[in-house]
Amino acid sequence: MVDDTSQTINLSAPVLEKLEAGSRPFSILIQKLTGIVGKTDILYNADELLVYECDGYIVDKSVPDIVIFPTSTAQVSEIVKLCNEFNVPFLARGAGTSLSGGCLPIGGGVMIVLTRMKQILELNLRDRYAIVEPGMVNLHLTNALKGTGYHYAPDPSSQGACTIGGNIATNSGGPHTLKYGVTTNHVLGLEAVLPDGSVIELGGPTAEVPGYDLHGVYVGNEGTFGICTKAIVRLTRDPEAHRTMLAVFQTIGDATRAISEMIAEGIIPSALEMMDHGIIQAVEEAFHFGFPLDAGAVLLIEVDGLEVALDAEVSKILEICNKNNVREIQRADTPEERMLIWKSRKQAFGAIGRLSPSYCTQDGVVPRTRLPEILEFIEQTSKKYGLRIVNVFHAGDGNVHPILLFDERDQGQIQLVLEASEEILEKCLELGGSVTGEHGIGVEKINFMSRIFNETDLAMMERVRNIFNPRQICSRDKVLPPHASDNSPKVSQTHPARRAPH
Amino acid sequence: MSPLQSGSQEEFVPASQTELSRFIAENAAGNHRQLFPVGGRTSLAVCCPTSQTGIQLCTSQLNRVVDYPVRDLTITVEAGMRIDELNKMISAEGQRLPIDIPQSNRATIGGVIATNTSGPKRFSYGTIRDYVIGISAIDGQGNLFKSGGRVVKNVAGYDLGKMLVGSLGTLAVISQVSLNLRPKPQTISMVWFQFDSCQTVDQALEAIVTSGTRPIAVEYCNAKAASQIAAEARLELPADQHILCICYEGPENEVHWQANHIVSEWNQYSPLSVQTVVTEEATRLYNAFTEYQTSSDDPVTLKAILLPSQMMKFIEMATRLNIAVQAHAADGIVFGHLPDSASSLDDVQQILNQLKKTIDPKTGYLNIYQCESEWSHSLPLFCSPPAGWNLMQQFKNALDPEHVLNSQRFNELVEI
Repeated sequence: MVDDTSQTINLSAPVLEKLEAGSRPFSILIQKLTGIVGKTDILYNADELLVYECDGYIVDKSVPDIVIFPTSTAQVSEIVKLCNEFNVPFLARGAGTSLSGGCLPIGGGVMIVLTRMKQILELNLRDRYAIVEPGMVNLHLTNALKGTGYHYAPDPSSQGACTIGGNIATNSGGPHTLKYGVTTNHVLGLEAVLPDGSVIELGGPTAEVPGYDLHGVYVGNEGTFGICTKAIVRLTRDPEAHRTMLAVFQTIGDATRAISEMIAEGIIPSALEMMDHGIIQAVEEAFHFGFPLDAGAVLLIEVDGLEVALDAEVSKILEICNKNNVREIQRADTPEERMLIWKSRKQAFGAIGRLSPSYCTQDGVVPRTRLPEILEFIEQTSKKYGLRIVNVFHAGDGNVHPILLFDERDQGQIQLVLEASEEILEKCLELGGSVTGEHGIGVEKINFMSRIFNETDLAMMERVRNIFNPRQICSRDKVLPPHASDNSPKVSQTHPARRAPH
Repeated sequence: MSPLQSGSQEEFVPASQTELSRFIAENAAGNHRQLFPVGGRTSLAVCCPTSQTGIQLCTSQLNRVVDYPVRDLTITVEAGMRIDELNKMISAEGQRLPIDIPQSNRATIGGVIATNTSGPKRFSYGTIRDYVIGISAIDGQGNLFKSGGRVVKNVAGYDLGKMLVGSLGTLAVISQVSLNLRPKPQTISMVWFQFDSCQTVDQALEAIVTSGTRPIAVEYCNAKAASQIAAEARLELPADQHILCICYEGPENEVHWQANHIVSEWNQYSPLSVQTVVTEEATRLYNAFTEYQTSSDDPVTLKAILLPSQMMKFIEMATRLNIAVQAHAADGIVFGHLPDSASSLDDVQQILNQLKKTIDPKTGYLNIYQCESEWSHSLPLFCSPPAGWNLMQQFKNALDPEHVLNSQRFNELVEI
């Protein structure tokens, strides 16, 4: 029977290579995997596999040998057990919106795509939680909650596509992180298939669980601890009202001082997003929002809460903006106007195509008060390398997204972008920040880990990873830099990434 | 002076993280004596340690401010900093750490993190896990490691801070921490409702789900606990039935509006009485709620973790068993102080059995939170094992392979 199956399977080149290399034939693995999910839920032809060669991080590519679409935890567990039996690496993938190569199947192997596990298993308003499958699109959960008075608070800019499982893997943030926190603040528990195929529950629907906070450790593991197959997430009350406004400043310095003063005054807006001169021009040209083309920066400011208190908060914000030389403030008086203001922010990256054929977005973080310094440094770096750099970012969190514009047909520019990016991230570290606020380490930033953490820190992280993933065949070579002695395939950055800012 | 002091118990008082790290490393490589990290010694009975024969690692000299960039709303301090001292410093800048901490004059930030201490405000603001943005700690072999950083948003590497929150010093000794802070609210108000039955309390709690107000805390106490809490707050409040006390804070007009609004919303559940407590009295009452969960001298304190929708069934039984009950009601966290009449292990065991019948084992937990040390050998710390129990054991073995750190805490965990 096995031989019959192998004869009918059109094997991809990498698979053939492995077959020739000896070990147990992939044809048997494919046959067994097909037995788990059925013929329509597995891919192994070279042309079909090509779709899965990368995620939102398109610089480096690696084709999986097999892509499989389970529909239940039991199937995921069986698949993982088979991968162990055949000693084949595997990793999970959701919508593939990771911006740091979290879904890159280094060295091939089996990619377990969870997008068919997308059900809401329970909505419980009384106890304020939802249980969902990992392939559930983030926005779909909030849509399902419309009219209940509740929503799921973490809202990455890719929320229309990204999945809850992926959000848990990367501890996603978003524009409303400033007030509502990141994914880890909203995950109560989860079910996961560990890299040995066993199924485990961590945390639960109650406010806490006795013992160690293992689901807290699990969130943000970037797929290296196992495969999340169920998530219990906290639901958040909808604010009664919003006030949304756009403040136009002459200079970036004025805008960043206004941000700093707002926070110092005890105002925590639900969102505080900045667009600089370059982005304003691109957005205005594309969408005609009416931004003055000579403005230095625009702040999108949103506060939410009870209607009775918002106007006083807005007055304080206006006062601070005025003190910092704001040129004009546009306020949204209707839900439609609010959506339009948000559109200017969310579609900003779409307008970048008007500026340049290629772009590379970085994800540095600095303490909020150091924003003027990092923005100044970015400007200097732009001049130093002769590269245009524009900025659209989560100013309230100090999470900058400098977008380096270039032409990928020019090899010289590619090298300049890599060097400039490196300098900007180094500067973020020097200012007391980090090299990733929300995109993750993945494979992209792995070389920075040894600059952020010392050997003991990394060894501790490795010990923790090894508790979950001792053989390291689950999503290998992510997050932690491999040891020099490792023989596993390495990824080195040879091209700037072209990504959407979050 | 040698940092190793002797008194009733040997004590090591390091002056720096490095000194602490070296001491633990030498112990792990040498005689493997039991080490007990202590801060303000306010939670020594939590999770019922069976004995403490060994050396206390006292963080009292690790109490410095490392960095306080005020306008960034973050602070980095050493683990032995006392909460009152921390609060005083950040309060002067109009900021706070929105976590309720009993005995804050003695408790330290390291201890708060190690015990995952929280109180009524957790409903609105979460717990200390939501405020730790970076942490340094020393494992059972003396390795000083860190995770996170000093910025509010950061996803570089694994979040080892979560691993240490609530770990009771069994995995590592926390030595330094970076925290996210919040602005201080303008004012506080509490509304004290008295209801005649658990059923009406439950109805009122269910209505919180869609209330037009946004409480920061929803506290329940039965008559036995209510009279003690009111007395502690030096307030004359009706306390002979079931009490729900709801707390608001923020700008004055918002707080005033909410306090009035909840009275009209809950009018339909026919409360026996309603009393609004404001300003300084509200602060006193709030503090009394914060202290009560751990301040009891009763021989056994239970902690149940339940779904809010299933909580009143448990409370009804506990009240029938003459237990003083306080609950962070919207979160389903219940503290029960057993009566003095529960004077033997058999009595306690019988009470536990009665209470367990009211809990769905799939979604609820009943633990011994603290008890007299002579009973700690005999009572089960956890009435049912939490999810991930085996993995927890692996964490213990990986971080403290010699089991020198506080192994009497979570003793079932170590014995597996």
